[in-house]
This record gives sequence, C-alpha cells and structure tokens, in this order.
Amino acid sequence: MEASREFVYQKFTEYYQDPSTLIPATTMPEQREFAYLMFKERFMVRHRRFAEFKNLRSALAETVPSDVYHSCAYYENPDFDMDKKGWLGADLVFDIDADHIPTNCDKIHDEFTCTKCGFSCRGIIPETCPACEATKFEAKTWPCELCIQSARDETAKLLDMLENDFGFSQDDLHVYFSGHRGYHVHIENEAVRSLDAMARKEIVDYVTGLGLGILDKEPEEKRGKSVASKKFSLHNFGWNRRLKLGMQNFLLNATKEDLKKAGIRNNALLKNRETIIKRCINEGRWESINDVSVQTWLKLAEYIRDSQSSKIDTVVTTDIHRLIRMNGTLHGKTGLKKVEFPAKNLQTFDPFTGAVAFKKGTTKVLVSDAPEFRLGGETLGPYKNQTVELPVAAAVMLICKRRAVVAN
Amino acid sequence: MQMETAGFTRNDLAKYPFLKETAEYIKPLDLQIDDLTSMGMDQILKRAEERVNETILYRRITRNIQNTALEIASFPVALLLVIATENSLIKKRYALAEAKQASSDLANEPKEKILKIALDFDWKIKLTAKESSDSPSEFIIYFTDYLRNTSHLHDKKWKLTNSILSEGNIYLNKKDVARLLEEEVRRRVEKRLDVKVPKFPAEFTLIAERIKKLAQETIGQSELDEMPKVVVQAAFPPCINALYADAASSHHLSHIGRFTLTAFLVNIGMTPESLNELFKTFSDYNERLTRYQIEHIAGERGSGTHYTSPQCSILQTHGVCKNKDDFCRRIYHPLAYYKRKQRTINSG
Ligand code: SF4
Ligand SMILES: [Zn+2]
Ligand SMILES: [Zn+2]
Repeated sequence: MEASREFVYQKFTEYYQDPSTLIPATTMPEQREFAYLMFKERFMVRHRRFAEFKNLRSALAETVPSDVYHSCAYYENPDFDMDKKGWLGADLVFDIDADHIPTNCDKIHDEFTCTKCGFSCRGIIPETCPACEATKFEAKTWPCELCIQSARDETAKLLDMLENDFGFSQDDLHVYFSGHRGYHVHIENEAVRSLDAMARKEIVDYVTGLGLGILDKEPEEKRGKSVASKKFSLHNFGWNRRLKLGMQNFLLNATKEDLKKAGIRNNALLKNRETIIKRCINEGRWESINDVSVQTWLKLAEYIRDSQSSKIDTVVTTDIHRLIRMNGTLHGKTGLKKVEFPAKNLQTFDPFTGAVAFKKGTTKVLVSDAPEFRLGGETLGPYKNQTVELPVAAAVMLICKRRAVVAN
Repeated sequence: MQMETAGFTRNDLAKYPFLKETAEYIKPLDLQIDDLTSMGMDQILKRAEERVNETILYRRITRNIQNTALEIASFPVALLLVIATENSLIKKRYALAEAKQASSDLANEPKEKILKIALDFDWKIKLTAKESSDSPSEFIIYFTDYLRNTSHLHDKKWKLTNSILSEGNIYLNKKDVARLLEEEVRRRVEKRLDVKVPKFPAEFTLIAERIKKLAQETIGQSELDEMPKVVVQAAFPPCINALYADAASSHHLSHIGRFTLTAFLVNIGMTPESLNELFKTFSDYNERLTRYQIEHIAGERGSGTHYTSPQCSILQTHGVCKNKDDFCRRIYHPLAYYKRKQRTINSG
C-alpha cells in the first residue's frame, strides 16, 4: 500500500483502537446484519452478527474497515444467507445526499475523468462522456458548504413532514450527518417496523409529493375535455394544506421573476394579492378571480409541490433490507464520522466541526488541488500543487479525496 | 348453548365469523375434524360446502342469521374444506368473497360497531368528536394501519399523498373504513387457509373433490391469461422502450432500471441465453455480472425465486416510468401493457 493510504489506515486504526473513541451502541445489535468494507483488500464482508455490541467494537479495532454498515432490518438469523435470514422488521430510514440533488454550487468542485479517453471536466458528472460516450468515470468529489446546505434544506422539509404530518416526536427522529455530503434520518418506532416495501413506497411518494390527485391531469385531458374544465379544490390537511400554505407564501412575496420561474406568464396574480389570497386560498373560491384560470392555479400548485417536496433517495427508504452506515464510524471518502445530533439543531449543527474524528497532530502533504475549505474550526486552502503542513483531519480528507499525498 | 359473549352479539358473530371472539365462542363446541362427520353434524358440513360453492359461483356468501349457531360453526368447517382442496385459486376466491361480504355488511352498520370490529384487528382507530372543519370525517386511524391496507390498492384516492393526514392520523368516513376492513378480513382468512392439515376424513376429501370440480367448470382458464409466445418489441411499454434505448446506446442504467428491463424481458419469455446475446451488443456489457443477474432473475440461481418486473407505481416512485401513453391509463403493470398491446396489434 502506498504511503498515503498507509497513513490514512494508521489514523483509522488509532480511531478504532482508542478506548476513548465514542461509538454509540446500535439498537438491538443481535438482530442486525453488520457489514464492512476491508480497508486494504477492498471487499465487503457481509452477514456478520454480533450478539453484543462490545464484540462489534473489538472486531472494528481488529479489522479497521474503511466503511461500516448495519442493516436497517431486524432478522431472526442475521448471519444467514439473505433468503434464510427471517425478516422481522426494519427501521424506517431516509437518505438525503447532495449527489442526487441539484445544488447552488453546480458541483463545480467535482472533477471527473473518463476512464476510456481521459476527457476531464468539472461540474455535474454526466451520464456519458462528451468526448467518447463511454459511461465510466473517475470522480473526485468535494463536500462543499453549498452542497451540504442544499442537503440540509431538503432534510428540513422532510423533518417538517415527519413531525407535523406523520406525528413523530423529535425524540423519534434520529438525525445524522452522513459523513460525506448528506443526512440520514432513522425512525426506530415499533409502529413502523413491520411496514412492507409497498407501504414504505407510499411514504416515499408522500415525501416527494408524487401522485397528488389535483395535479393528475390525465383523465380529463384524455376524455377530450380541456384541463380548464377541471375544478380546482384543496382540503386543509396533508399535502393539500402544504400546497395552500405554499401558494399563500408565494403570493405574498412573489415578484414577476418568481412567476416566470413558476412558468406563469399571467401577472394577474400579483395585482390584488390580498383579495386573491382571501377569496381563493382561504375561502376556496378558486374561480372567483376572472384573470386567474384553473390552469394558472395548477401551474402554481405544481411549482409549489416541486419546491416543497423533499428530494430523498427513493431507493433507500423502500428497501427493507438496506445496509446503512453505522453511527459513530468513519466515512472512507472523507475520514469524517457519521454523527447524530438533535433534530432541532439541524440548522446549527456544523458537520465540519461536529463530524471531525481526528483532533490531534499535523502532517505534511503535497496538495494537487483543493478549494478553500473549513474544517475543525480552521479555514484552509485554497491550495494548488504545494506542500503544506495540515491538521491530521484535513490531511486525511484531502488524501481520501485524492487531492493530496503524504509528503516526505 | 345460550352464551353471551362480551363484545359482540351472536348475530354479529354469524355475520362476521372471522372475529377473534368467534373462536372463543366455538371452543365450547369443541369441534374436532373426526367428530364432524360422525356426530350428526352433517348440517354444518352441508352449510359449509354451500358457503364455498357460493364463493365459486357468485363471489359472495349469503348470510343465514336465522340459525346463528349453524352459521358460526359452518365457517371454520368451510375453511377446512377449502384447505382440503389444496388449490390456491379457490383459497384466494374464498378469502376475497368472505371479505367482500363482510365489507358490504359493515357499510350498513352503526359506526360504533365498525369501530369494535376494527379494534378486533388491533387498529389504532378512534371516533372523532363531531364532524367539523377540524375533523372532516367520523373516524381517525393511525397511518400505519392505513398503509397496511391501502398500499396495494390502485385507485389514486387511496394514495397517502391525497389523504387527510394530520399528526399521524388519517380521517376516514364509514364507507372507507369498511373498505379497508375488507383488506384486513381477506388477509386474516387467507392466513387461516395457509396451513397444512395432514389428513382429512374421507368425507372431507370427497366434498373437496366436488368443490374442485365445480371450480374447474366455473373459473376455468379465464383467470390464467396466457403470455404471448413470441417477443414483440412493438408491444413494449414506453418505460421499457426508454430503458432499452438507454442500454442500447450505452447510457448508464440505475440498479432498478437494469433489474426492471432484465426481469421484463425474462418475464415475456426471452431465454437467459438470448438475453445474454442481446446484452452483449450493449457497450458496457460485463459478461459475468450480466449472466449472474439474468440467471438470478430467471430463478436459476440462489433461492430459485422467479422474479417479476416491478409494477407501474413502483417504477413511478423511482423515476423509471417515462413517456406514459394512452395504453398506460388502463393498466397497472408493464406486463399487462404488453399483453394488451399485443392483442390489439394482433387483432388490428
Ligand atoms: S405507466 Fe407503467 S407501463 Fe406505462 S410507462 Fe409508466 S411504468 Fe411503464
Ligand atoms: Zn471519454
Ligand atoms: Zn457543492
């Protein structure tokens, strides 16, 4: 193993072997499958069972994996083959990752190189190489503050729905920084454990606002009637309430620009805002303003739906066997740890200090390329082809992100 | 045999024989399979056979509340008869008919009784104080109980997204609660039918044979709609076309996209060999992985499960449903799309 990987491995070893490292116990470990990625061999060890949490800790200290996971599912026999495990239930989990959502930074900090022709570019990784149409890339990603802010915004919308619509208390909602560019929310309540994949799919559709009847234009259209003949109406609960509130807020503050963004060309909505809100939204007389058609309302409702829905990873939540990163363990792509914080602290919890695992020492690295970044209370960079002495956490992160090597 | 049970009247138990309490009620009768044919219980047996026959012929079960004792006792015996047929179609039909009958009876009951029956299924359900703008319906039920019974219903009205959801509870009217209880009853009856009884008395086997014969004549082949034999690409649904085009032009397919495409092609009758040949022409083809995946889906590996491609609603959730067209409105599954479209191609 080259010196840089060896250095990271060394630091991971210290982390897992230090008895003062705090790794919170997983709920009911004896019923879960554990899995980990071997640091050097790069393969995934799966179907491990630990009767007691302390056994898991010593296994981590011994093997020092690069990434550690456990099943969100509970099994009779977590160490058996998949079809013989005996599924007993599963936590309800949500994953929000900046990789999957549009962000304000446009990911200009990510760099990808086509493995076939070597074409290299910054920004969102395309499906196919612009130069040769191949589909495999070497990616160098970066956990930037804007990326994390976008993920945080999506998480805030999710938490709001889970609390107000689904009635979970703040104590039910376990919120984590994922260790890379996103957040996880786990719900371990008895009530959700037995939900099957289809029931979870319905929850996903709720969170993403999919299948709202009011926006379902097909039946009328297809029967030859125009959309305009459709009646517009909303009740006061669930998504209907969210649409109403969203429309009201939009109307209170909207500019012409905002309207354009929503795809509405008609400016009538901006004229008598107060009257429109009162008559249409509050009293439900949606057709009472001449210049505002059902079509306009539908457009606006759709825009509100898109902005209020939470862009979770749909596959994670519907998968009742899913492996998810274990709380308190290190992320192999950053050296940051997955860490829990109270739901109410979502906006104030700072991953770049709260998730830092290596707090001591410095080391010299040769950095090829890094933007300015914040870590462990310090602002560092930008660097370009230079040797610098960095705090261990920053050095580990740059090496994991393949932007630096140990200098000798 | 004058027995008053705690919650329900004997009339109720006759109408809703699947309730937990019915089992309590029947216990003192101490029904044993062997006794049934001997102890002059032929009346019960007769009514039980009638129950099963009705479900096969009319998908309904009449209620005979003149003789509640007979009615109640005939239910578990009917279950035994259905079990003795060892026929999954008859089992399904029977459970569904009991459920449908119960649901339509329930819709005419006072809400207090509906509540009691829902509690028998351990629902978290309450009556609301009064209909008002704060509580738009008579019942509130916890969302997990709702999802358990709606997630596979196709009507958009049941989607959680459209429900009256607030703080974990969903407002429902009487009719809707009765409809959801139908699902619950169906599952409970199905579960009770899903057992193996080692040996039935000769008389049971005889009746079971009669029932099977009736089922064969009535249900026939109609429910075993067959998949066309040759693969007709013109009948592919839009989502599959899109996946196919992506794969062919070497675009990256998501895991679920790849699974959907492969399972669909396996399901419509492509052999693993010809599929492998097809995938070879795609540029990011990985022989080992592809072969493994195809054989896994076709049930030739591992647990031997034969996988079915996912239904439309699942593909919608994960963004795989694309370019819906006219045909899509009438189906819930890409395979149903394929069957239907092919029929029109053939007839047109
Ligand atoms: S509706 Fe169903 S068949 Fe039609 S494109 Fe969508 S997923 Fe495919
Ligand atoms: Zn290329
Ligand atoms: Zn960014």
